[in-house]
Amino acid sequence: MTDTMVLTWLLFVPLILSLMAFAARWLGGLSRFLVLAFHLGSVTLTLILSLFTAEAVLEEGHFFGLGNWLYVDALGVIFLLIIGVVGFLVGIYSIGYTRHDLQTGEIDTHKLSTYYGLFNLFLFTMLLVVTANNIIMMWVAVEATTLGSAFLVGIYGHRASLEAAWKYIMICTVGVAFGLYGTVLVYSDAFNVMQVPGNAVLWTEIIKNTELLDPTLIKMAFVFVLVGFGTKAGLFPMHSWLPDAHSEAPSPISALLSGVLLNCALLVIFRFSTISNLVLGPSFAQTLFLIFGTISVAVAAFFIYVQRDIKRLLAYSSVENVGLIVMAFGIGGSAGIFAGLLQAINHSLVKSLMFCTSGNILIKYRSRSLDQVRGMLQVIPYSSALLMVGALALVGTPPLNIFLSKFFIITSGFGAGHFWLMALCLLFLVVIFAAFFRVIASTLLGERPDSITRGEANWLTLLPGAALAILIVALGLYIPSELMSLLNGASDLALYGNTGQQVTMSMKDYLSPLAQFLR
Amino acid sequence: MSNVTLINSLTGLLILTSLLVIEVKKPRWSAIMYSLQSLVLVVILAALAYEYEAEELYLWVASAFVTKVVLVPWILYGALMRVGDPEKPRNVMGTTPSLFMTAIALTVSFIVVNQIHLRAAEPFKPALAVSMAHFFFGNLCILTQRNLFKQVLGFCLMENGSHLTLALLAYKAPEIVEIGIATDAVFAVVIMVGLGYQIYKNLGTLDTADLNTLKG
Repeated sequence: MTDTMVLTWLLFVPLILSLMAFAARWLGGLSRFLVLAFHLGSVTLTLILSLFTAEAVLEEGHFFGLGNWLYVDALGVIFLLIIGVVGFLVGIYSIGYTRHDLQTGEIDTHKLSTYYGLFNLFLFTMLLVVTANNIIMMWVAVEATTLGSAFLVGIYGHRASLEAAWKYIMICTVGVAFGLYGTVLVYSDAFNVMQVPGNAVLWTEIIKNTELLDPTLIKMAFVFVLVGFGTKAGLFPMHSWLPDAHSEAPSPISALLSGVLLNCALLVIFRFSTISNLVLGPSFAQTLFLIFGTISVAVAAFFIYVQRDIKRLLAYSSVENVGLIVMAFGIGGSAGIFAGLLQAINHSLVKSLMFCTSGNILIKYRSRSLDQVRGMLQVIPYSSALLMVGALALVGTPPLNIFLSKFFIITSGFGAGHFWLMALCLLFLVVIFAAFFRVIASTLLGERPDSITRGEANWLTLLPGAALAILIVALGLYIPSELMSLLNGASDLALYGNTGQQVTMSMKDYLSPLAQFLR
Repeated sequence: MSNVTLINSLTGLLILTSLLVIEVKKPRWSAIMYSLQSLVLVVILAALAYEYEAEELYLWVASAFVTKVVLVPWILYGALMRVGDPEKPRNVMGTTPSLFMTAIALTVSFIVVNQIHLRAAEPFKPALAVSMAHFFFGNLCILTQRNLFKQVLGFCLMENGSHLTLALLAYKAPEIVEIGIATDAVFAVVIMVGLGYQIYKNLGTLDTADLNTLKG
């Protein structure tokens, strides 16, 4: 199979299997089995095809598909791998989670078919975002992620979930309309100055002609893009949909929203920031990134500390982590961007684990309130262990993966001369550490409520969490050379576009800003 | 009157129809006003196509007519009739402050557009400023209206603004670009209306003030 074919199949598989999952509701007694079979096929094939794509990118650097409308490079493939891996593991977890929902009558076979149809449609739209080279199609795909997932947020049909779904669709659609305006401005500018106007819609062609673009228009466009897609990414102050949608959605969907979707929106911002960097120089985008990133971390730290609902707390932690990623891009340079991308990968894994574990808590305790969830160690010991790994990773405890990326962000910040900003950031991280420490202590320990029986829901709700925990520990101890190579390539792309300049740095080089600062 | 003057003048009608979409009391009349505004947009697109001899734009004219003049208003009108087209809830902001905000949005848009130096934009700077202002009109509609379906119309106003900007600055863009945006917008409206209807069916309200379970 050629690389271009892999890319086409990567999109085709989840789309077709999603439609088949929708249609399976009409197949009588077999429908439940078939819905799950189509879903399992979709997430498994998506994982395999995304790994194939990553291998191809490692060999060739980048390649196109569908007449240059699709494009994958080192930057895109990092996000593609996140979709593949997290989509697969959360997809497996979903099967265990919905099995419980079926047993309790929360959903029926009809809703199950809708759920898996939308789940895979959501995967398809996110895959389209990260593989789009056509900037208008990129916008269409981001908009489609909202449309595909809004009904998933409100699938239970309760007052709170419908309210969350409305806020989600309205705020994100309006936000993404800002993104459309920014996209239209970039496209119009390129269209008027490029020798082949038909190519003005392609990101890879725009970045080759950035010297012709109007700086004022690009400045305006980038602000629109940052506000628009920043809404979707959950940056403060456009984040208000996020805690509601993440907390009211079924837990596997919360994991996808937080672990995958936010990253897709960030990738779109980074694609446009490359254009902005080449037209205006890096300082314009970096300043905006530092402002939005720092405020997001600060506000999230406060909300995390006061939150008593575990899923809302995790949602605010997503705002914090998105803030950190954006802040790392604001610090800039290869070290900052490398750290930001590593943080994006690590956060995806950890947050997926945390939302899956919160689902296990919800199944057992029927509550998300930290005041009611006690004695987890006695009730669900395996889930407790997973929660412990996830929470420790989230706050940046060594040797878990987020420690490494947070460490790189802080050192690159010091290296770039942002001493006070990094000191402030460390202060916020301490507040968040305290908040999560309290969560671990209050949920794992204490007396088990009498009404709660011991035992996990089913093994399918544990297995994906265990795999995620293994990845979290492994990536904290060692970054494989293949991933290192992709991260270097992605830093190069985010800094220079595909102008041929290359970043070839090792782990030791990424630590040099700290050494420089200490000297 | 030259075609350029006609186009710039017609955008004045866009402002008027936007105000009507935001301010009329019965939401179904808002849907009709939106259809009227889209018709003005279609005429502007046709005038642009004639001015630039841009065949691509005639396809935009056709697709905008189908999606914006007919389909979206029909979906909204139909949904509103099914829920009894409630006149209440009242707006968050009265008409006078709303007009004041509109004037500010227009002024800011004119100032911003004046900074742009793009050959294609030169003759149509007034129209470009109005298209950008529509973006803020849409936001104003969403922020000040408590009816779920009128908020959807706010999104439609924003989308009309983007559409006009695209037509003014890239009138020879491949029709697939325009069709992609228009189709997506129709899908967005269908899904928002569907969700709004589900909320009405389950919770018996279209008032955003009643959606207050989730806070902080």
